[in-house]
Amino acid sequence: MPDILPALDSIWETGVAIDLKAVEQLATDQSSLKAAAGLAKPAKWSGVGVSLDGALIWGECAGSGANPYRVMADLRDLGNKCTCPSRKFPCKHVLGLLWLNAEAIVPFIPADTPAWVSDWLGRRRGTSAARSASDAPSATEKDLRAARASEPEVAEDPKDLARREAQAAKRGEETERAILDALDALEQWIGDQLRMGLAGFIDDATARCRRIAARLVDGKAAVLAGRIDELPSRLLALSAGDRPRGAVVELGKLVLLARAFRAAPRDAEVRRAVAASETRETVLSDPRALRLEAHWEVLAEQVQTRRDGLVSQTTWLLNLAAAGPRFAMLLDFFPASAGRRGSVFTPGERFHGELIFYQSAQPLRALLGRRDATQAMPALEWPLPDEPTAEALTRPLLAEPWTIDIPLLLPQGRLARDDAGQTWWRSADGLTTLPLASEVDGLLCGTELTRTAAIWSGNRLAILAAQTPWGRIGGHD
Amino acid sequence: MTETIMTEAIKTEAIKTEMIFDAMGAVLARWTMGSAAAPAASFWRTDLGDDPTEAELRLLALAGQFLGTSVLMEPSSALRILPDIPLLPLPTMPETLRPLARRILATKKQAKVKSDLVHFLAARGWTVHPSDWMPEADDDDVPDVYASWRDWAANAASSSVARQQTDDRLTTDNWGDFWPAARKVALAELRRRDPSAARAVLEARFAGETADARWRLLSLLSERLSDDDTSFLEGIAANDRAPKVKALATSLLSRLGRGPAAGEDAAELAGFFAVKTKGLLRRVRVVQAEPLKTAAQSLRRKALFDGIDLASFSGALGLAPQELIAAWDWGADQPADAALVELIAATGADEQVTQAADAVADHGATGLVISLAMRLVPAERARHAEAALNAQGIRFELAQLIAGTAARLQGPLSAPAGNALLAALRRDDAKPSDHAEELHALGLIVSREGARRSLEQLSGAGLLQGDPRLDMLRLNAALDDKGARS
Repeated sequence: MPDILPALDSIWETGVAIDLKAVEQLATDQSSLKAAAGLAKPAKWSGVGVSLDGALIWGECAGSGANPYRVMADLRDLGNKCTCPSRKFPCKHVLGLLWLNAEAIVPFIPADTPAWVSDWLGRRRGTSAARSASDAPSATEKDLRAARASEPEVAEDPKDLARREAQAAKRGEETERAILDALDALEQWIGDQLRMGLAGFIDDATARCRRIAARLVDGKAAVLAGRIDELPSRLLALSAGDRPRGAVVELGKLVLLARAFRAAPRDAEVRRAVAASETRETVLSDPRALRLEAHWEVLAEQVQTRRDGLVSQTTWLLNLAAAGPRFAMLLDFFPASAGRRGSVFTPGERFHGELIFYQSAQPLRALLGRRDATQAMPALEWPLPDEPTAEALTRPLLAEPWTIDIPLLLPQGRLARDDAGQTWWRSADGLTTLPLASEVDGLLCGTELTRTAAIWSGNRLAILAAQTPWGRIGGHD
Repeated sequence: MTETIMTEAIKTEAIKTEMIFDAMGAVLARWTMGSAAAPAASFWRTDLGDDPTEAELRLLALAGQFLGTSVLMEPSSALRILPDIPLLPLPTMPETLRPLARRILATKKQAKVKSDLVHFLAARGWTVHPSDWMPEADDDDVPDVYASWRDWAANAASSSVARQQTDDRLTTDNWGDFWPAARKVALAELRRRDPSAARAVLEARFAGETADARWRLLSLLSERLSDDDTSFLEGIAANDRAPKVKALATSLLSRLGRGPAAGEDAAELAGFFAVKTKGLLRRVRVVQAEPLKTAAQSLRRKALFDGIDLASFSGALGLAPQELIAAWDWGADQPADAALVELIAATGADEQVTQAADAVADHGATGLVISLAMRLVPAERARHAEAALNAQGIRFELAQLIAGTAARLQGPLSAPAGNALLAALRRDDAKPSDHAEELHALGLIVSREGARRSLEQLSGAGLLQGDPRLDMLRLNAALDDKGARS
């Protein structure tokens, strides 16, 4: 690449190669440095690269969530950005990436700058802030050697261990009791809504749901609380005439979920829908967890700010292999106050990697275990639907009737509109007609959809992506 | 069938779906009003139990599951399927470059940026992928190559039955078979090939169109305008219902030297100017503006310019239009210069526009060149942009207004604007978002080869290859220029 030589010259002149001293200076405190040392390991990283001009580096780091964090830095001034919600600047992931680079722990493969790095470059306000931060003497002493030193293994006292286990068990019981009490309150609340009339409930859903959600939070049923907080917006998305039906379906699912919890309070899947999800570590260390190595296509990313102040980030993946769960969902939450997060994946991109699924009768929610370095992807077609559409719509509800979102792979079909302006997906054989959740226009309506990946939710279809004679196109939501 | 067997059948949940379905209406109605619904679902009596509160909750769970799994909405009317989005006469841009185009379309919100990009691509022989961008039905300023997409959008927005799209040559008879955008393109094409036939078709169908459509269709006559059009135009200028259409017809007539006999006004306007002679032999004529003494005078002069055409004005001064342009004392009275240039742009013939653009460019009046640029052919626009870049040191953004989107300048970065840009980018306090518009404009006016060279020079100035400010240049450098070859 002759055209980048001048740039390389100037970079070498100014000495873009960084050393660990710079990492040390950049760190806000010793604990950041310590954490970065832990991340400066090849296993934590994927997609590590450097721009052809040698100035920008980037990589993806496995964090505590399902989605990895995208980390990027400009070696000329050590300006940096990470998609993690940390309030520390720079965060441990940035320090880790710089550490990898300084010590050449992994090869940084020269490549075209990815669009997400370019986007960040375009949004940067200036270089002065990064410079002054790195020049400023840090308030606290930081020490690389101390950061590197591994904690000595402390031999566990068997008595301590037993005591801690006992405490944990007690806490577990208390939590369970609190949840059961909260579920009693929930069922009573549901009964009240029926007695007072669903017409009134629909009109006043936001306030009423807020009240019972608060009670559920107190009762340690946080996931269920979040779900109920979002119930009104799902209802309002329906046409006025369809809301009583929608309310019955939503409230009916809550009754089923409450009963399922009473029947099996320790069931991981039910617990995940009511109280809290397992931590990343729990899933990773679960020997029964389904691990699937495959080629994946990123269908779409949905980012939604919820009423409880959390932002949910959902990445939908399509398994391009012949067998195994057809879809995977990477789900993370972070506080809205952490600001807007960059996307982790680009819709349409494909990668090879290992996903670890949360335990479930129908595995869907997953963690990204490993993402292999960019390699030549085989030109895989989207697979055929695994089952008839009618079955795909209902089967998940027979196993987990409280499920809200069902991902679907639809056969050849096309969009059409009725006189009222409602858009429908219709299968090429004319046997299935499904209503779309929102109006779509443009290309989606003007071409054959040879395959469609969509979410079936509340008896409405939301298209994530489709294969067409024009190639792969995204949904318009 | 005995009663026992019936009970068994119910117990084994062999209940007809229709029975449940029929009951759901009553169940929903009861709950909506706040009354107990279990009595309306007697077939589930055993499952619901005897406790009324518990029965309602159980019914809710069952009914919810039933409604969620077994009841699908059905369309209330026949479904209308839109036709396929047509393939365009030019190929879709390469897949690998679509992310660049998408980013340009997404980050720049102004309509001009979008319109510039699609025009640029069309000039290079490419079109946008329909999932990245599609025109609206009324996007009149998009390239003609998108006509069938505009008509598709019009079809999508209308509830009428689809027209028979035809590929035949436009005639009076098949006029109604064409969608508006395709019809406009077909008429323009006919006009280029056979001006009289195009006028004849337009003449026959003109009255049936709306004022906006009449105005747009009439403007197509500016191509290959000739005396043969006079009587048609005179009819419109005299009788059309819409003032806008009348004014356009008048303006076209003026280009033919058949402006309205604005005798008094033309004489009054001419009175604001004097034709003098200069030079050793007093043979060179010069038109000079008389000094204006009051604001009222300047307003009056402006108003007179707005209502006149070039031929009448020059005639009142005893000059032919080209003589007036040659003799004009450019630079002495800028409002007068601007008014004359507007007059030429609106009512001058093509050769007069070219002459005027050369004249104002010679006087360094870049702003006035911009006013005339729309009526110049692409090669002329490129020539003026290049000249202004080198001689006047104008910025790329301004040069782009002159050059349009089909210029292909070879080395604009070596012009003063380029040197200034490189110097600014090298400054220590340069910010990552500085000069984005300048770099974007550069990307639009430069040739493919020039874009490659510019990228080299800019990375020499410290810009990174992945810098989004370079998107337009990178797109240009990577895109095969098929327009130049044809």
